[in-house]
Amino acid sequence: MHETTLMQNLIATVMEAVEKHNVTRVNRVVLSVGKLSNALPDALIFAFEALTQGGILQGAELEIEYLPVIARCRACGREYQADGFPIICPDCESKNFTIISGDEVYIKSIDIDCKKE
Amino acid sequence: MARLDIKQDLKALNNAIAAENREKFASHNIYVINVMGSPGAGKTTFLENILPELSKHIQVVMIEGDLATRNDALRIEKTGVTALQINTNGGCHLDAKMIENQIQKLNLNSIDLIIIENVGNLVCPASFDLGEDMRMVIVSVAEGEDKPIKYPIAFLEANMVVITKTDLLPYLDVDINVMKKYIADINPEAAVFETTKKDGVYKADEVVEYILEQVRKKKGK
Ligand SMILES: Nc1nc2c(ncn2[C@@H]2O[C@H](COP(=O)(O)OP(=O)(O)OP(=O)(O)O)[C@@H](O)[C@H]2O)c(=O)[nH]1
Ligand SMILES: [Mg+2]
Ligand SMILES: [Zn+2]
Repeated sequence: MHETTLMQNLIATVMEAVEKHNVTRVNRVVLSVGKLSNALPDALIFAFEALTQGGILQGAELEIEYLPVIARCRACGREYQADGFPIICPDCESKNFTIISGDEVYIKSIDIDCKKE
Repeated sequence: MARLDIKQDLKALNNAIAAENREKFASHNIYVINVMGSPGAGKTTFLENILPELSKHIQVVMIEGDLATRNDALRIEKTGVTALQINTNGGCHLDAKMIENQIQKLNLNSIDLIIIENVGNLVCPASFDLGEDMRMVIVSVAEGEDKPIKYPIAFLEANMVVITKTDLLPYLDVDINVMKKYIADINPEAAVFETTKKDGVYKADEVVEYILEQVRKKKGK
């Protein structure tokens, strides 16, 4: 599944930061995952562990934070958190909406040890 | 220990290439449809049947996504339409880079419409923008009426939904109106069509009209 692709992109991005900041160890990677992203946490962790074997990232913890789905009603303009399907405006009950956020997958931060300069 | 803020979107690379594709299509006035649906939903059969009629009016090229075979591209080429094949070698979806590689092989000046048949899968393809104008979801009545609510993400972002195999309704315990209601609950703006195969004849008339209208709208801009 495509969790592997996401983790390859994650590792490439983290490695850029590792090289730029003289990192000696990566302790934790915090990943923000939208509930609409189709990315499964177990598969993300499995791919992360498999792809980090033997490198500087080996043993780092992958922390996954969930982001709620936020929709904006096209009828009355209200922004609301959508907790399931169908997505319905709590004010006017319209089913017309635009998704504002909730389908993203992004690296939020990494916890690192650096070499003293 | 230090914390480093990164805020890097992992889909950024795909989205950037999709945006480039979209720009390239726009500069050549090409309309692009990304066709998604479960394995066996009837995507290729639907396309085989609408391509001859579409080709009477406009220049169409197909891009076929498949795990391992050229079967669907060969079926499409029998209709006289050029079909490029992408094999994902196990990958569950097409991505924008694969499309970019294929469009380099085409003379874009002579094309009005590109139809991409994604890998048979109702989940993963929905997360990867290819640069398309229209997302089309194909769902057969045989899959069961609850599929739109069980796989909502594909339907959420669909502009057009085609319900196939309605000729099988007499043999199934499926209410097509319930299926349509579920689709409308999730995405009231999607244009919904039905296709059927009766006595060996495939019927999808209004679909062709609708697609031609979308292509002309983009050309007219
Ligand atoms: N009865 C009936 N059968 C259909 C209809 N459309 C497709 N089929 C059959 O459904 C089967 C699968 O059709 P395909 O068009 O290959 O499905 P697909 O979605 O392209 O499948 P993949 O590309 O493998 O994901 C074939 O045996 C078709 O003959 C229809 O309208 N009615
Ligand atoms: Mg097919
Ligand atoms: Zn509202």
